[in-house]
Amino acid sequence: MAWKQQIKAFDAWIDAGMTWIGTHGSAAFSALRGLLEGGYDGLLWLLQLPPWWVLGLAVGGLAWRLVGRGFGVIAAAGLILCWGMGLWPETLETLALVLSATTIAVLVGGIIGVVAGYSPRVAGFVDPVLDLIQTLPPYLYLLPAIAFLGYGPATAILATFIVAVPPTVKLTALGISRTPNEFLELGTATGASGWQTFVKIRLPFAARSIMAGVNQSLMMAFGMVVIAGIVGSGGLGETIYASVRTLDIAKSVDAAIAIVVLTIVLDRISQAAQKETP
Amino acid sequence: MTNEALDVLIDCRNVWKIFGERSDEAIKAIRERGAGKREVLRDYNCVVGVSDASFQIRKGEIFCIMGLSGSGKSTLVRLLNRLIEPSMGKVEVKGRDIAQMGPKDLRALRAHEIGMVFQSVALIPGRTVLDNAAFGLEVQGVAKAERHKIASDALARVGLADWANHMPRQLSGGMQQRVGLARAIASDPEIILMDEPFSALDPLIRKQLQDEFRELTKSLGKSAVFITHDLDEAMRIGDRIAIMKDGIMIQQGTAEDIVLHPADAYVAEFVAGISRLHLVKAHSLMAPVSEVPGDVLARLPRTSPEADVQALIDLVLSTPDQAVAVEDAGTCIGVVTARTLLEGIRGEEHAAATIEVVA
Repeated sequence: MAWKQQIKAFDAWIDAGMTWIGTHGSAAFSALRGLLEGGYDGLLWLLQLPPWWVLGLAVGGLAWRLVGRGFGVIAAAGLILCWGMGLWPETLETLALVLSATTIAVLVGGIIGVVAGYSPRVAGFVDPVLDLIQTLPPYLYLLPAIAFLGYGPATAILATFIVAVPPTVKLTALGISRTPNEFLELGTATGASGWQTFVKIRLPFAARSIMAGVNQSLMMAFGMVVIAGIVGSGGLGETIYASVRTLDIAKSVDAAIAIVVLTIVLDRISQAAQKETP
Repeated sequence: MTNEALDVLIDCRNVWKIFGERSDEAIKAIRERGAGKREVLRDYNCVVGVSDASFQIRKGEIFCIMGLSGSGKSTLVRLLNRLIEPSMGKVEVKGRDIAQMGPKDLRALRAHEIGMVFQSVALIPGRTVLDNAAFGLEVQGVAKAERHKIASDALARVGLADWANHMPRQLSGGMQQRVGLARAIASDPEIILMDEPFSALDPLIRKQLQDEFRELTKSLGKSAVFITHDLDEAMRIGDRIAIMKDGIMIQQGTAEDIVLHPADAYVAEFVAGISRLHLVKAHSLMAPVSEVPGDVLARLPRTSPEADVQALIDLVLSTPDQAVAVEDAGTCIGVVTARTLLEGIRGEEHAAATIEVVA
């Protein structure tokens, strides 16, 4: 039938396109891969540097300071549990993955968000793209990412970055564009330059909104951890993926508990940081 | 240039502001065939914010622009530092046409010459009172230690020396407005634009701040343009007052001019409720010297043309002749008698009303 052939032609066209990108962009992709894995390895090395209990206490102390004494104790106990389950290396790998992907998402998303916050035209272009990202099933961009970046943490970081970036962009743009008019007027009437108005007026007002975006991005990144296990992310995601395949239910539950602990600890800490923002 | 011309800080000539997408066409229509406000709205869907305003702000003077909401007063004040671009007309600040200034000159003008205080105060939440007061200096690039010193002095001037390290939200509305004023004077501008600064405050605090503001402005030798919707406030603060309605400046003059000679029924209605006792001065109450015989005139007590009603009453009661001579530069220019005093207090429109009733 004709339409079946047309679909075949379409598929062939996609394949050819992928091959073309793969061959012509290989230098760029290996550079990107090097960059992502370099960042990830560096962060992981840093996290592995102190003994497990020092890191546990440090996170507990931070939670104590920002959230409260009770949560500080819970956070420390949760991390001890991760260690106790024999999942400490995986926990650190997951932490490194989530933090590096979120950091890139916040940097890139922050810049795009600021531009979109200033320019409604840019926002009009960016918003539908973000909506598309948020509605696409993650597997859809996971596969081409494997094709270009190969199996490993780089692909996992890229995929995590893609899901993590929309909240930061959206909430940064919202914060920047919603600066109260009287404060913009104050800037102008005081003789502030465009840059001064941005740094001294728009940014402080947007800070809360931006922090909410960072928190959301972090949560989206945690949501990707298990899916990223399929592409060789390492860490807890891969542990779950491997134990599901071997029907090792108990181990997958252990890893899931560790993910929940990490997620809750980072969520509460970043939320508290947001509340501290004036 | 004459001395008087040098004293003019802001010269506003035939300034218009028209809002709307088709404002260019509307301006053309006004220019070429003198289209009115209604016509502009009907034919071009444009709103006339300010219509043909001309006035001057002189050195050391407080100029109040009074009008109800929608009268164009807030638009007008924003034309003076080009927060809003005029559609037509010319605004000169210290002899320079601000429409011709580039971005750099304009920023310098706003930073050094014209300060502004807002109704909403606009204190930045994450900064201390001191850092808010120092904001203008910070923008100008003044080093931290120096700007903090200047800002502390400015805070001391408005009576907030002890609050420097507090956060804005810890302050009451009246105190916040004082910080706004300190922020404006810290940059030491020659002109301060006050956009309804006290409107949101309760009456007692408002009155106190009005007096403080007037005293501070005068002692620092600043000039101010003060926007308000409250005629009492305008009378209390302003050396001269302009009354706006529908974008048009209906009348300009001293409080006394406006109360005694309202330009139209609208102004008359406004000033009807104003107590004239402290506004009426000897020169507007006096009768010609010929009203009293020469020998009586010679023995009357003397006073100046600026003497107010309170002083006049005291003087008139102090002599058996019940009159006082008004003297300017050594010559007698008129007399105030008990009769003219009573008539003056009663006011012209009351006199007219009485006659109508009698007829």
